[in-house]
Amino acid sequence: MKEIFKITMSLTAVCIAASLILGFVYAKTDHARKLNEERIEQQTIQGLLGFGADKKAPDDLKIFPVYRYVITSPRGETSLGYVLPLKGDKVVLVELDLSGKPIRVIPIDASISSLADQANRDNIINGSLPKGSKSVWAQTIFVADRGGKRLSYVVPGVIQGFKTFIKLMVSLTPDFTVSGVAVTYSEEDPGLGAEIQKDFFRNQFVGKTLDLIKKLSVVKEPLPADYALSLDPVKAKQKGLTAEQVKEIKTKHLNDDIYALTGATISSRALTKGVVNTVQKFVKRLEILDEAIKKEQLSIAF
Amino acid sequence: MNRNVQLLWNGLIPENPIFRLALSMCPAVAVTTSVQNGLMLGLAVVFVQVFSSCTVAIFKSFIHPRIRIPAYVIVIALWVTVIDMILPVISPEVYKQVELFVKLIVVFAIIISRLELFASKEPLIPSFFDGLGMGIGFLFGLCLIGAIREFFGTGQLFGFDILGFNPLLIMVLPAGGFFVIGFIMAIFNWIEYKLTGKIPTSGGAH
Repeated sequence: MKEIFKITMSLTAVCIAASLILGFVYAKTDHARKLNEERIEQQTIQGLLGFGADKKAPDDLKIFPVYRYVITSPRGETSLGYVLPLKGDKVVLVELDLSGKPIRVIPIDASISSLADQANRDNIINGSLPKGSKSVWAQTIFVADRGGKRLSYVVPGVIQGFKTFIKLMVSLTPDFTVSGVAVTYSEEDPGLGAEIQKDFFRNQFVGKTLDLIKKLSVVKEPLPADYALSLDPVKAKQKGLTAEQVKEIKTKHLNDDIYALTGATISSRALTKGVVNTVQKFVKRLEILDEAIKKEQLSIAF
Repeated sequence: MNRNVQLLWNGLIPENPIFRLALSMCPAVAVTTSVQNGLMLGLAVVFVQVFSSCTVAIFKSFIHPRIRIPAYVIVIALWVTVIDMILPVISPEVYKQVELFVKLIVVFAIIISRLELFASKEPLIPSFFDGLGMGIGFLFGLCLIGAIREFFGTGQLFGFDILGFNPLLIMVLPAGGFFVIGFIMAIFNWIEYKLTGKIPTSGGAH
């Protein structure tokens, strides 16, 4: 009896010591880690829009966030709330019912840049809703705007991968052609499923129009050699392919399905499904939102 | 030879975790499709092994012998999580590359076996060198397997194209991992047989 007491005490002490250390490290690193994550997210968005270290974004390019909230009224009805930036740095919350009809437009007393922090934003949105309603953040869409014209949309998505969730971002042109896919978080196996992050796999989605995306599937065939070369910008440069040659090969293979990765069919299928779902849902939502904006005659910033 | 140097050397060749002890074979087969993958996982293992060995060597008198295994697992998990939290702050670029590997380490047999066989009996300094030696030995093994598989499987090394074609695609597939490890293990055994004249006894793989 005495020994079991001792063992329990000893193991408890080990656990408490370990959790204290973990808590201390977490508290010290949490803020800096979040800042880094935000910076990486911004870099990913810039990269999807085609800008990076070698090509700086023009000054008149503006990236506006659109926050989607799920609102539950006191009577238990669900509605959607879109936080939209207006011209002149004002913000409104457009509440739509599930069929897409606008319920109300609530002006929000904050600038769009001050809403970037999620905890702060949740407080402000919850505070400006009618009493008893609750809201939960669901998604942040980014709209890139240049000189009053929409340049592209960057839409995040989540899908079940081989081990855990794969988080991805898809950038679309205004006519819903995929212009880039990025994997922002995944825990797929290195050397197998993690290859979904490589250029030659991600770039297979680029250039696919909405019609192609709708019927996109995965084939278990080896990637044709010329196509593989055109998908990897670094290798294409090494082989001395001109931009026109690359374009020609890409056009030839535009109607192809996605070629699965060797030994990682589940991860390949997961990312493909993720892209297809994300694009289809976004297109539907944007249609509804644009209609509501027109109906309410809002002068939104993009 | 100095004992500490002896311990370092021991982990590298005579008691190499992969080729001689046959421990942690799952990651050694699964991850080593390229040198870079091997290098990243190896570096992560070196850190966790050294920190865990030192922690256990310091606190071994406080750990009740009947619950030592759960206590060791907590120590390993603690260091893995600490590295997982600190690395993205110190260097987000490096973390993006090793993120996947760091999380795998908690379940590696080599780490807990060194804690049980060495660090729980020896003082701090030898434990440090034993952990470092075993970690570097593991790193060396992963890099060697990764280099052979990457070179023969894709014709590349460190991602640079050397041959320009794939000589043996099977090398980057899981089966290739078994082939490469088997052949290297055979070479190690053959060298030992030539040096000592004894037929090496087989170790249990994990």
